[in-house]
Amino acid sequence: MAPGLRKLALTAHVTASVGWLGAVVAYLALVIAALSSRDTSTVRAVWTALEVTIRFAIVPLAVAALLSGLVQSLGTEWGLFRHYWVLFKLMLTCIATAILLLHLPTVSSLAGVASATDHAGLTGLRGELLHAGGGLLVLLITTVLAVYKPRGLTPYGWRKVHERRALSAP
Amino acid sequence: MAETPPYRTPRWVKIIGIIALTAVLLLGILMLAGLGGEHGPGRHLPSTGGSATLPVAHNGQG
Repeated sequence: MAPGLRKLALTAHVTASVGWLGAVVAYLALVIAALSSRDTSTVRAVWTALEVTIRFAIVPLAVAALLSGLVQSLGTEWGLFRHYWVLFKLMLTCIATAILLLHLPTVSSLAGVASATDHAGLTGLRGELLHAGGGLLVLLITTVLAVYKPRGLTPYGWRKVHERRALSAP
Repeated sequence: MAETPPYRTPRWVKIIGIIALTAVLLLGILMLAGLGGEHGPGRHLPSTGGSATLPVAHNGQG
């Protein structure tokens, strides 16, 4: 990848990833606000806000982070399966995105029930606390991996490095 | 030509692997023991919609 394009792809990836983390923090704040409130209208409003946040912020940012990460890996020397930190980050992002996409209909359903009835249950909100908390932990781990880039080649990466060395040897 | 050194898995990867394996086992035990409540991956599947709904409203009007 050309240096200018590489910078653009990196900017897109960092923006999407940080945006995802920020959106999850906002989601978590809404869940905590609803859990600590006794007011039914507040809880109901929070369910609507949660559905909008997950559908129009968290999911698009997660998909953007995953896709821009793939471009970033495949378009640079890092590769996708050569370094453990990249592989771990990919695995965690894929798992988090899959859980998010599977969870989206549940949030929509619960938001619908909350807006249609007088009782906005807290049981569903505890599940949201678990999901958002777990998601935040995963995103913090991927951020640490991206910043520290701990050394360590996978067996595939190791083989590639030695193949290249053998080819470049006189 | 220099001989290729043997491949060694980095220590941090081994540690993370052990932690991840322990966490998965613990989660599995908790789910099997029913300590995790109604929550679990099955909650998101369309055929098991039971726990994905909120309790029905009781507003005192019948």
